[in-house]
Amino acid sequence: MENITNPALRKKLEKAGRSRLVGKKKPLTAGRILYLFCAYVFLAFIVLVSAYPIIWVIMSSFKSNAAILGNPFSLPDTFNLDAYLSVLNQYSFGTYALNSLITAGGSTVVSIIFYAMAAYVIAKYNFPLKNFIYIILTLTLLVPGHTKTQPIFQMIMNMGLYDTRTGLWLVYLSGGIAMSLFVLKANFASIPMDLNEAASIDGSGFFRTFWQINLPLARNGLATAGILMFLGNWNEYYYAALLTSSEANRTLPVSLSYFNQAFSYDYTRMFAALTIVVLPGIIIYAFFQEQVTASVASSGVKG
Amino acid sequence: MSTVSSQSKKLRRYSLMERRNFPWIYAFLFPTLLLFAVFYVEPILQTFLTSFAKFNGYTTAEWSFDIHNLGGTIFRNYTKLFSMSSFPPALRNLFWWSLIAMTLHVGIGTAVGFLLYQKLRGWKFVRIIFMVPNVISGAAWAMIYRFMFNDDIGVINNLLRKVNPDLHIQWFYSSPAAFWAITFTWVFYAVIVALVVLGDLMAIPASLHEACEIDGANGFQKLIHIDLPLCRNAIGTSILLSVTSRIAMYENIALTSRGGPGNDTYGLALILTKSITDFNYGLANATAMLMFVFGIATMQIINKVFRMDDSVY
Repeated sequence: MENITNPALRKKLEKAGRSRLVGKKKPLTAGRILYLFCAYVFLAFIVLVSAYPIIWVIMSSFKSNAAILGNPFSLPDTFNLDAYLSVLNQYSFGTYALNSLITAGGSTVVSIIFYAMAAYVIAKYNFPLKNFIYIILTLTLLVPGHTKTQPIFQMIMNMGLYDTRTGLWLVYLSGGIAMSLFVLKANFASIPMDLNEAASIDGSGFFRTFWQINLPLARNGLATAGILMFLGNWNEYYYAALLTSSEANRTLPVSLSYFNQAFSYDYTRMFAALTIVVLPGIIIYAFFQEQVTASVASSGVKG
Repeated sequence: MSTVSSQSKKLRRYSLMERRNFPWIYAFLFPTLLLFAVFYVEPILQTFLTSFAKFNGYTTAEWSFDIHNLGGTIFRNYTKLFSMSSFPPALRNLFWWSLIAMTLHVGIGTAVGFLLYQKLRGWKFVRIIFMVPNVISGAAWAMIYRFMFNDDIGVINNLLRKVNPDLHIQWFYSSPAAFWAITFTWVFYAVIVALVVLGDLMAIPASLHEACEIDGANGFQKLIHIDLPLCRNAIGTSILLSVTSRIAMYENIALTSRGGPGNDTYGLALILTKSITDFNYGLANATAMLMFVFGIATMQIINKVFRMDDSVY
């Protein structure tokens, strides 16, 4: 019944007794059952390929090397944390995680404020070149990130920031311009302009109107864009691998490529290390699931 | 004089109130525009210009021009790139991967989007799980797939051995298995496509579906004549994003097959990074320009084919 919004039409249909059209539930015909069966098989496959690889890695990290080699499908029979303890002892995951947090988190906090300022004036005010500025900024979405590799590599070298967290932080600042502007512009546009006028009458200046009135009201958009930007930088591998070399400045994703050689046939510890790298992202997603989904839906960008 | 008066005419489009805010407005735009200039405009210009220069990590860029020897002077890096043994495979892989992205990848995502729209029991669960591969690092995902396809411990070969006990495919180390193994690392994970399509479906006015039902259309007819055409923008965007991801694909190759066996699974991004670590900057930037041109061309084609600039309704 909910599908039909026009009341006159709904009445007419009800009168005609065409329950098939107005009813919420469709009757279970043989065709419908077949359709549902195929749909669920397909969706089950999607869930399987999305979740099983990670579940397999986590499960294997509790098994012995022999058990992994013997039967890769078996469940772990003990809850053995030895691999984790040994990997955590051998590698400074704390350092890698801290590096990831500083570069990804630090750049997100700064750039989200910059992009909020830009999105705010684009959403709320008229000024020359407004559309042009908005279009060129959002076109950055289509520039393959690798196109700028050499100039950025050289710039970081020239600034003496090669193999520093500052250099990586600087590069991450510019990530997610287009996505943040999409999300934040829509958010600021939905805040009534009356508020700005009222604030202005009460003597609030341009900056205060932005900072104390609009920014708090746009917190949903800020969270949405911020989380997606953070995840993108947190998971970034390409520039992190290119611009750092020492262990002290290594981020979590980059650390993976080193385990590869270190644990060649020690699968248990390899899987434990993989789990440690993968888990933070999943935990962040578990907490901010709605925001991540909303931001991807509105901008079509991945984290 | 004329420019001054035309400028003041232009400014008159803005009220006094609006004009009073201009300094603030440009101050608010300044940090973003600065980042844009430093991290987009300047690098892209430098990439473009030095892709025509003799340029390595030890000397500054050097341009030379000889009309009788264009390939050896101004186009030297492009000549070098096109004659590399890893270039033909990289181009061939890009072609096939783009084709698979456009059809299978976007197809899977669109199908999931349509099924989510029907809000079958458990649709939210599917949406949550489908997103997980996208929130973890691409590097980690590539590593996981490396082990999934491992001959000793990998689930794929062990599953296949239940049917054929003698099977031993070295997925990432033999051709053409390596191409397909790399394809599997991304082809199913189309959650972005699904969500973008779902967004467009949710925007279809209920009245359209009602009108359809009154006319007696069945579910399939509704899908073909209403829903799919109205998702045109979402599908176009998805194809664009998935093809540009193929152009830039790096971790999926670098952490699995490393372009091997031979050069069979090479990609442009691999040529690019290898040139940089070899301090062959001119070559790196010629590769980058090629990626840029492919990206722009894809955008133009998609815009034309899907008429993205026209309004859907």
